[in-house]
Amino acid sequence: MIYKETGQYKSSYKSDHAIFPLLQDKIAFITLMFIAFLIIPFVINSYWEKAILVPFLIFSLAAIGLNILTGYCGQVSLGTGGFMAVGAFSTYKIMTYFPDMNIMIIILISGLITAAVGIIFGLPSLRIKGFYLAVATLASQFFLVWLFNKVPWFYNYSDTGQITVSERTMFGIPVTGAEAPSYATYLFCLVLVVLLSFAAKNLIRSKMGRSWMAIRDMDIAAEIIGVPPLKTKLSAFAISSFYIGVAGALYFAVFLGAIEVTESFDIMTISFPVLFMIIIGGLGSMLGSFLGAAFVVTLPIGLKFLMVDMVGLSAVTAKHFEITIWGLLMIVFLIVEPHGLARLWSIAKEKLRRWPFPY
Amino acid sequence: MSLEDLKKIPYGKTAIELNNISLAFGGVKALTEVSFDVKKGEVFAIIGPNGAGKSSMLNVINGFYKPTSGTINFAGTDRSEMEPEFAAKSGIARTFQNIALFKGMSTLDNLMTGRLLKQKKNFLMQAIYFGPVAKEEEEHREKVEKVIDFLDLQSIRRTPVGSLPYGLQKRVELGRALAMEPEILLLDEPMAGMNVEEKQDMSRFVLTVNNELKTTIVLIEHDMGVVMDISDRIVVLDYGKKIGSGLPKEIRNNKAVIDAYLGVSDD
Repeated sequence: MIYKETGQYKSSYKSDHAIFPLLQDKIAFITLMFIAFLIIPFVINSYWEKAILVPFLIFSLAAIGLNILTGYCGQVSLGTGGFMAVGAFSTYKIMTYFPDMNIMIIILISGLITAAVGIIFGLPSLRIKGFYLAVATLASQFFLVWLFNKVPWFYNYSDTGQITVSERTMFGIPVTGAEAPSYATYLFCLVLVVLLSFAAKNLIRSKMGRSWMAIRDMDIAAEIIGVPPLKTKLSAFAISSFYIGVAGALYFAVFLGAIEVTESFDIMTISFPVLFMIIIGGLGSMLGSFLGAAFVVTLPIGLKFLMVDMVGLSAVTAKHFEITIWGLLMIVFLIVEPHGLARLWSIAKEKLRRWPFPY
Repeated sequence: MSLEDLKKIPYGKTAIELNNISLAFGGVKALTEVSFDVKKGEVFAIIGPNGAGKSSMLNVINGFYKPTSGTINFAGTDRSEMEPEFAAKSGIARTFQNIALFKGMSTLDNLMTGRLLKQKKNFLMQAIYFGPVAKEEEEHREKVEKVIDFLDLQSIRRTPVGSLPYGLQKRVELGRALAMEPEILLLDEPMAGMNVEEKQDMSRFVLTVNNELKTTIVLIEHDMGVVMDISDRIVVLDYGKKIGSGLPKEIRNNKAVIDAYLGVSDD
């Protein structure tokens, strides 16, 4: 009775096909946007920015990217770290060559460059599927990280091999570099995430998304109804890589400020966690991308709070426990709810719909 | 040869002509020198015992298999092979013997995939989803809703097709093919595994499509009652060879066909 759909009639196909067809969802979304845009910027502090909100936003974007490729188009990828590195290094190089360019444009161009790289590494997907494709994308991960390490041109021949962001402003307020205020970096990421999420959702609910899902579910039938397999798969690789590239650019320019490629874009720090996000969140679900990112970003913080602050373990022991608990949780999740948090949410909605009747 | 050429052909004249089609997988001969023609607007049945090469024949017609030799004359143009995408664009739709639906998608989305070839707006416009894209989406939705009405699928519009019972899945698959608004519809055992009522429903749908939309239908079916009742002409295959063709009543009395189905006694 709390989540009631009855009485909400749709009289046009347009309203039936809306992103939030239900009034409750619409209200929830508007409230969320209100809090995100008009309340959080005023109360945000450096801890919330650096530890929770900005990484959450950036990883949401990466998760959406990977979800487009893996969840919607069915092409498994382990190369997320490598593609994020492409975004980061593109941003760095464009910044050095065009010191006056607006940071928003730099980041979007970095996304486009990553999309082009994604297309190249997506070419094998026509011939290989499943596990074999996962291995091929794993190769792209190692190759790209190796490349950014090996060729000094990418890090401007610096001695350490590190790349460091310089200060860039939006409307006169710095959004990158050490001086950037918390609210500015947060809002900058938030605007990009909201815009790109809507774009992704729109793609998914129109022709593009249906072609991807057709390829995912039954590629032979898709071909027979006229979906070209190569073009469709490559479009998924391109658009997915665009999102991951933008996430990588933000990760470098806005979040970390200075990175070292082997450390920051390693398979264990990026590729696997992002894959966990979409598995825990829900494959083929926009909401799942966000839930998964929130879960993966906040879990270590929650566990640390529980073990160090509450129980009193040493930080090192807690860190070791954290990894173990991580693994356990993954296994439990895959067994108990293989469709992820998004499915849990839809079950909860079902329950709310019938509440208080227990049938 | 294109959809336009196919549309121009008058009803009752040859739409597809297959000349001496042979198909071999290594040493296995699936089809040997099979020739027949399908006339526009008719219900044409391909029958034969299991393994006779019927499904291979359909796969050749819609471009999934390339024949080893022989030519296909499609809407007045000769060619030896074509791509599935091209066949789809030229107005050929099909259903599969083992249901090939997109299991993770709802009935509505499955039917909407039938419209993919007709949706022209590029992906940037789709991402922004403003006026023209929303309008295009609506137009196609309207066409799909007509198919949903015709096939009585309203109640399962939002259900993921993977969870539907077998008979309904077959119907959704027919729906997806119809959503393509095909000129030629290839049906691979549309009634396999159905009970009598479901078969009646399906026959009714097939005949209505044929009568009202004037769609040419090429049908593979094992239920002889259905085949004899609804088809205009029949071709019979056995071990990849054509053993008979003609009107249903001719086939019924054809010695070779009866032998193929019932077996020949040794003495």
